Amino acid sequence: MTGKDAMGIIFPNFHDASLPELVDHRTTASIPFGGRYRMIDFPLSGMTGAGIRNIGVIVRENYQSLMGHLGSGREWDLSSKRGGLTIFPPFGREGGVEYRGRIQGLASVMQYLQEKRESLVVMSDCNIACDLDYRALIEAHLESGADVTAVYERAPIKEGMQNDNYTFRLDAEHFVKEVRINDYRKGMQNVSMEFYVIGRELLIAIVKEAMVRGHYNFIADVLSKNLKKYKMFGYEYTGYRARIYDMRSYFEENLRLLETGNLDALFPEERPVYTKVRDEAPVRYAIDAKVFKSMLADGCIIEGEVEHSVLFRGVRVGKGAVIKDCVIMQGTQIGPGAVLQNVVTDKNVVVGPGQHLTGAANFPVFVGKNSTVGAPPAPAATAKKE
Amino acid sequence: MKECIAMLLAGGQGSRLYALTKNVAKPAVPFGGKYRIVDFPLSNCVNSGIDTVGILTQYLPMVLNEYIGNGQPWDLDRSYGGVHILPPYQKASGSDWYRGTANAIYQNINFIERYEPKYVLILSGDHIYKMDYGKMLRYHKEKNADCSIAVIDVPPAETYRFGIMTANRNGRITRFQEKPKKTDSTLASMGIYIFTWEKLKKFLEDDEHDNTSDNDFGKNIIPRILAAKQKVYAYAFEGYWKDVGTIDSLWEANMDLLDPRVPLDVWDPDWKIYSRTAGRPPHYVGRHANVENSMVTEGCVVDGELESAVLFAGARVGRDASVRDSILMPGAIIEEGAQVSYAIIAEDAVIQKGAVVGARPEHTADLTKWGVTVVGEGVVVGAGAKVPPKAMVEKNIKAGESV
Repeated sequence: MTGKDAMGIIFPNFHDASLPELVDHRTTASIPFGGRYRMIDFPLSGMTGAGIRNIGVIVRENYQSLMGHLGSGREWDLSSKRGGLTIFPPFGREGGVEYRGRIQGLASVMQYLQEKRESLVVMSDCNIACDLDYRALIEAHLESGADVTAVYERAPIKEGMQNDNYTFRLDAEHFVKEVRINDYRKGMQNVSMEFYVIGRELLIAIVKEAMVRGHYNFIADVLSKNLKKYKMFGYEYTGYRARIYDMRSYFEENLRLLETGNLDALFPEERPVYTKVRDEAPVRYAIDAKVFKSMLADGCIIEGEVEHSVLFRGVRVGKGAVIKDCVIMQGTQIGPGAVLQNVVTDKNVVVGPGQHLTGAANFPVFVGKNSTVGAPPAPAATAKKE
Repeated sequence: MKECIAMLLAGGQGSRLYALTKNVAKPAVPFGGKYRIVDFPLSNCVNSGIDTVGILTQYLPMVLNEYIGNGQPWDLDRSYGGVHILPPYQKASGSDWYRGTANAIYQNINFIERYEPKYVLILSGDHIYKMDYGKMLRYHKEKNADCSIAVIDVPPAETYRFGIMTANRNGRITRFQEKPKKTDSTLASMGIYIFTWEKLKKFLEDDEHDNTSDNDFGKNIIPRILAAKQKVYAYAFEGYWKDVGTIDSLWEANMDLLDPRVPLDVWDPDWKIYSRTAGRPPHYVGRHANVENSMVTEGCVVDGELESAVLFAGARVGRDASVRDSILMPGAIIEEGAQVSYAIIAEDAVIQKGAVVGARPEHTADLTKWGVTVVGEGVVVGAGAKVPPKAMVEKNIKAGESV
């Protein structure tokens, strides 16, 4: 069984509400993660890697950066005459929230769902970066004989997740017996990762039925209330995962990639993660550079010190600057002599020479997109001085 | 129709690169951390506004074919024009290998004429440089030339290695000497020509009918066109240009990327060098690493010492290992405690624990025996083994062995 008999649906906007700073100009799907990726790269690469050829992305708002990132879908091999990537922009009213809940989102693409031929639909949100084997997931779904399969992890409910989680009570055969909404219990729980597999015809029927009843939430309004009618199988994911639910988790999950083995776990060679190519040159380390326990994407030029940090593409670190425990997004320029610790900078930030910025380990300082901190440095550091 | 199309000569074996061209043609040899040599002329074409390129291949073309593919990474996947691989092919009148660079173009006259170009740019696939061919084309048109040859000033001591042009004050070339022992001029041909197509076509046809000709641009076409008193002009290029046809020059050109005084800059956003990349995660530098004056790219993992090193995608350097003045091609692995100096480690080669490869010149008693060491593709140098400077290693070396 390959993914050829399944189509994919991705929801880029769910969970936007818990990440206000990061989604100011973007969707959860387009949040940069891991030095050169965006969150949507993980479900998109996972699905296409499993052979899924048709993927629909149902967006709600703020989707310009997402459109720019996805383009025609070529990087994921989705630029194809047969099937491929379809992006559904929000329909309807100007400015306002375009749909509430998964059901309404799916209803808005009903025609797309109806004209496809695949017998299964795989659905994913974009708040978790993981190495989910969608092929194994589909196989488990078919083997279980369930109507719906939901992926879950064994994990505690962290403080930041308390207003945005579902947990499952499972029977011995791993079928879901009860769904709890915004669970608050301590200790390890079966926390939903909100990846689902469901028959396409069944999904269409469920959405139609729910719409006429004014039910918009796939789990809370429909599945959790009909667990006898729709058998829901729980599929446990045990691999590496990074769940982003607030600024702190964003910061910590980026830095956690620096611990031994984690990069290989999230990016196994047999299941590559694809992203938009930017044709950056390799990283240039100058003569006085000092770098420890960090990951750096291409296009960076390092003249200062970097320790325990994640640097995205095209970051410049000037002479004598010190970057420690930081997440520095694409195109940021750190001026000479600046000192940053526990800082997250969004894209294209400029930190002037000699500036000091310090956050706490549990509360990083966040510098918004395109901001300038202090006086901007003289012309940006270049690799070659002529 | 297209005003100007480019023909890139990529058929050469590059035999002086020995182990590095055992499985690939010279233009496909990795360069500069994430590129292959051919990326430079191809990116120059696109950045110069030339969107039609024929690549003439002959020697081991598989890697190059796969690499070029549909040309998308260079923006050369066009509905009219774009990049085309042109191997020798069978015709009704028979088939033939490319006998020389001129013959290779001659055999593809049909391809060129499909685009009805006014000018044809002839390039070779073994040089590293950034050049705006658009400027050269404007020069060619201003001079109303039949042929323009890009030239670069070389030190008098090096003229014997090049084709040397003598030009008058207006830039018109009056004399051409191939690798002269003695000459007054220092203008070396860069192997970059713009021809007015109808002229070139005529000279290609004449050359083809000359049984004594080697059908080579430098040896035959240029002397022939000069002898016929055609308007041949020298286009002076200033900037970085290097022939990377030998182990030493390939090594030097890579090291030039690390030298702030050398004007070879791949970080310039206004003249990007494009390449087809594997798409690996960002590189990781471990807690024991010390990285100075080096280039490192995606997929690398470094926990040792790098000083003046160029690492390609997926290269790994273990703890307490050191890599100095060296190049690690894609997937090369340097295990814990190994030492690599003045060396090129080819794709997927493994230098096992504690092995020593190459040496610094100052640590070599007899400098005549010193040089860049090469470890060939996929070769394993066993733990604790020693490989001397200037060695060319094409077979595995057992643990503890000294070559």
